[in-house]
Amino acid sequence: MENSYEESIDKRRVHLRPDTLRDPAPVSLHLLPCEVPVNRPTPVGRFFTPAIRLGPDGLEASFRGRSLRGEEVVVPPGFVGYVMTEEKAEVLVGKQNDHEREEQELVEPPEALERDFDRFMGATASFSSFTVWGLESIPGPDAKLRGALSWPSLAAAIHAQVPED
Amino acid sequence: LTAESVRLSWALAFLRGASPLGWEGAIYLFNMCLPQLFEIKVFKEKNRSWFINESVQSGGLLHFATPMDPLFLLLHYLIKADKESFQGKFQPLDQVVMDDMFPDCILLLKLPELETLLRHVTEEKEIDKKKYYKYSKEKTLKWLEKKVNQTMAALKTNKVNVSARVQSTAFFSGGQVSSDKDEDYVRYAHGLISDYIPKELSDDLSKYLKLPEPPASVQNPPSKKAKLSDEPVKAKEDYTKFNSKDFKTVKKNSKMTAAQKALAKVDKSGMKSIDSFFGAKHVKKK
Repeated sequence: MENSYEESIDKRRVHLRPDTLRDPAPVSLHLLPCEVPVNRPTPVGRFFTPAIRLGPDGLEASFRGRSLRGEEVVVPPGFVGYVMTEEKAEVLVGKQNDHEREEQELVEPPEALERDFDRFMGATASFSSFTVWGLESIPGPDAKLRGALSWPSLAAAIHAQVPED
Repeated sequence: LTAESVRLSWALAFLRGASPLGWEGAIYLFNMCLPQLFEIKVFKEKNRSWFINESVQSGGLLHFATPMDPLFLLLHYLIKADKESFQGKFQPLDQVVMDDMFPDCILLLKLPELETLLRHVTEEKEIDKKKYYKYSKEKTLKWLEKKVNQTMAALKTNKVNVSARVQSTAFFSGGQVSSDKDEDYVRYAHGLISDYIPKELSDDLSKYLKLPEPPASVQNPPSKKAKLSDEPVKAKEDYTKFNSKDFKTVKKNSKMTAAQKALAKVDKSGMKSIDSFFGAKHVKKK
């Protein structure tokens, strides 16, 4: 039944294993300007990375014969980048606030939050920067990604507590 | 799996599901240790993929977990309860914060300083050491005004870094070339805040701030969507119309009802949002 299917999705929690946030290995990350419609291991270090050159306007590389220009992008200040893997091996790239690194010293959990149908994920790697690639040219200052990366500073203002009268 | 990892796994939970803000499939991250609420937004652009070490990952999604003011969520329940059942009566909080669609909302009651928070938007009464609350629109508008001001300040600060983008991609409504007019900042800040509050309240706030009617080309202030992607509309109830697109992350693939289909056809031209902040290129109107 459609409804119960929906409900079970709604009520499922995804638990993040905090211990995995402690010190995941650094990861090499490239954001490509094209959609590769598969998720699987691929010999990046054999074909892609060795071809990266530092040209007059940034990094140069090629993928499937097309020329790419790229540059290093840093994670917003106060944030850490994580690559998350769900237990059924779906990969997400997550960014968690630095704070979360601090509260690993868990006292007793207030109640059992886990349920049978819940899912779990953990960080498999971390990053503080990644390389963003554009086709032929570096993604400019107007790139969507730039806007997205400044979201945390705006979010901080929207959600900061206001003083009481 | 060590015993410890099992124990620790309780510490954080992603809460997903229809959110009280009307975003179907919104994701919150609740930190059980602090405890603290985070909101997760997803950056998604067409034709992107990741190389992650020695693997390829399609989609190129980038998730952001940023701290969220829980009062926005609480407010929603307070307003709803006030309107539907309690009508101006004082109520204990555990009778207000209830949600079939989003049962995890009770976690909100675990937040520290809840009482301090609620003082911004409710009146309270103490009877037999139990607190009772009542939604106060006046207080809420005052609180929201402060939020707008503080967001405005951040916009101004940010503008220093993003001025090029401000000029070129309709950071402000309607694709107009931005000016330094405070009015533009107020309107934009109002739009950002409106993503977190019911439409009705957003309109009231607009009046409260004495926001002038936007010029014709900007009929809909930058408040409408909480979406970062091109997913079809999946709005659920009326008040969610202004959040007419949802987050990308939770693909529900559910069939749309007739009403939802109708909603999907709602003319969104001129609507601007956080979305435009995320850089969608709205350059058509010059």
